[in-house]
Amino acid sequence: MARSWSLEGGLKLKNMFGYADVWDGSVSYGWDQTTEVSTGVSLPRMKKWPSPVFARASLLSQDWQKFSSYKEQALGFGLGLLSTRNHELAYNLTWRNLTDPSQMAGDSVRRQLGHSLLSTLKYTFKIDKRNSSLRPTRGYAFSSTTLFAGLSPDSRSARFLRQECDFRYALPLGFYNTALNLGVSGGVIFPWGKGFLDRPSSLPDRFFIGGNTSPVCSLGGPSSVLGFKCRGLGPTELRRRSKDQPDGDGDSSVASERDAVGGDLGVSAFADLSFDLPLKALREAGIHGHIFASTGNLVKLTENEWRKLSTKSFMQSFRSSVGCGLIVPTKLFRLEVNYCHIMRQFEHDHGKTGVQFSFSSPL
Amino acid sequence: MSMEDSREGKLTLVTTKPCFGLPTGCPNCLPVYFYLKFARLPFDLYFNSTFPDSDQIPYVESGCYVAYNNEKGGVIDCLREDGIVDLDSDFRTIPEWISMKAMVSSWLVDALVYELWVASDKTAVQKIYFSDLAWPIGTILHLKQSYAAKLHLGVTSENAERIETEIYSKASLAYGALSTQLGDGSFLFGDRPSSLDALFLGHTLIALQVLPDASVLKSKLLNFSNLVKYTEKLSTELIDPSAQSAVPAWSRVPSSEGNPSTSTNKSGGFSNWSSKPKSKPKKERTEEEKKFRRRAKYFLTAQLVSVLVFLSLFGGSDAGEVDFDEGDEGIDYYD
Repeated sequence: MARSWSLEGGLKLKNMFGYADVWDGSVSYGWDQTTEVSTGVSLPRMKKWPSPVFARASLLSQDWQKFSSYKEQALGFGLGLLSTRNHELAYNLTWRNLTDPSQMAGDSVRRQLGHSLLSTLKYTFKIDKRNSSLRPTRGYAFSSTTLFAGLSPDSRSARFLRQECDFRYALPLGFYNTALNLGVSGGVIFPWGKGFLDRPSSLPDRFFIGGNTSPVCSLGGPSSVLGFKCRGLGPTELRRRSKDQPDGDGDSSVASERDAVGGDLGVSAFADLSFDLPLKALREAGIHGHIFASTGNLVKLTENEWRKLSTKSFMQSFRSSVGCGLIVPTKLFRLEVNYCHIMRQFEHDHGKTGVQFSFSSPL
Repeated sequence: MSMEDSREGKLTLVTTKPCFGLPTGCPNCLPVYFYLKFARLPFDLYFNSTFPDSDQIPYVESGCYVAYNNEKGGVIDCLREDGIVDLDSDFRTIPEWISMKAMVSSWLVDALVYELWVASDKTAVQKIYFSDLAWPIGTILHLKQSYAAKLHLGVTSENAERIETEIYSKASLAYGALSTQLGDGSFLFGDRPSSLDALFLGHTLIALQVLPDASVLKSKLLNFSNLVKYTEKLSTELIDPSAQSAVPAWSRVPSSEGNPSTSTNKSGGFSNWSSKPKSKPKKERTEEEKKFRRRAKYFLTAQLVSVLVFLSLFGGSDAGEVDFDEGDEGIDYYD
């Protein structure tokens, strides 16, 4: 699965067997509490196959204990079947285990703890005609990722369909290198198979909105609304009540923390106006300013919740934020220092008005 | 939710899936089922078939309240300490009851573990724990749990026969003692059930319905007809999915009056093993410490970001240049 890593170290060996094969091993650390150890091989030409083929084995660990009371370990094998500039098709077989060492998880997270096998086929179509991924001022980008899980004769493997789309458009305004960036992202996940209407979706595969990633650069589905903390927007549920917590005058929702459980349907959008700053030194360093507005929503559809959803209620439950800030596009990453003002959030969201840092890796 | 609310709200018992005609086939889960049945507490059953190596299952939940199997000596002790139900208030001062409970919790648990994971052909445990897992995962976990069982019992190729003899001998002694204690009575002690009855009933039902006919443990149990009758009678009364009974007054204890546990009950059985050592509980941090750690984290992050920004803006080499790979010459990529 293509990921954006903040820190990565690797070793590469080329042409070990004389087929222009490239072997590599790497250790990576990502923004989203993810650690991965992987090894793989890629063949630029395999007989008459039109594109390079790669195979990869990886061991991945994600720690979501703080936000959702679970940890994820995944042992996976991936096979890249098609890899061109615009199209990517890959098969993955993954053994995933969700645990809760803290034993504080809420009801729906507890139900999902355990082992599962994912046999998935992932197709990505991507076209990026923007002039820059760090500071786009012209062009458009579109990305569509379809993940089909359950490609296995064994009905006990995880079965769901996940679709996400991103669209970005950068419009130059013709003065001070000003550009208006618009973007919208959406995603939906739904289980399939026997009894799918009554089954919840797979927790780690749901959509979670929030965090420090700038939506301008990334094309990874609805993942970020500036001003909201990691997994800070969307459905939540009460955690287990600890024996040490006071009764809180009988109000358990105040005494207990909450787990972010993600959503099955997520939408986010933003408008970002970037401009050069008056100081020449800052312009030469590429440091520029921006003002932005972003919005997003995340809802549950499974377990018959979709029956209660209406367009009106969905539109009325959008959260939003506005702000301004400085962008420092370094060669390694894009750093944003923003002042965010939360315009709208709901009771259990974690949006915070104030100064925030945001990081993005150029992809 | 206060403890009052959790007592009033309906309980849910989370176990492994039903099989062999039992509400759950797991030797750890079945005693808890019977304990709640003896207490006549209304509860729902929920099945978790994807976590066979968890030491948290079985657990009882009601809203935000959860009593895990790997806490405080097990689910039954948790329920007692939290004031949900206590069937043992009249028995904890009886030395014979305490020693019999220790015997059931150790000798008979080990005997069943041995029979299921070592002596038998493993089809029973496959059905109880791994049948709902995809094949490669189920197979690997089965091997892992079998190894853990042997490790727990101390079985090696050199001492296998000796361990087996020892286990069956202790089981026979235990059955003999329990048979003598039971006599013609309905319960092991007095005229009301206790957690000892729940533990023993769970054991005997698994031994009689899950173990194959060729099982040595099963044949030893069948030698004691009063134990078999006791099992049949209680299982017929209690295994009824539609039964919804009222709560008698003696099964409830206010949490403020709970006595410290003197039970020597183990915190579960074979499926509670983990090859990983349990992590120590984190020390409670004061608010000041938490604030200090948060500020320290922000400070260090700001320092790191400043260094990185400095290096990337004013550093010598241009890390943005493409590294041409000589090995890619002459290779065409199609769009």
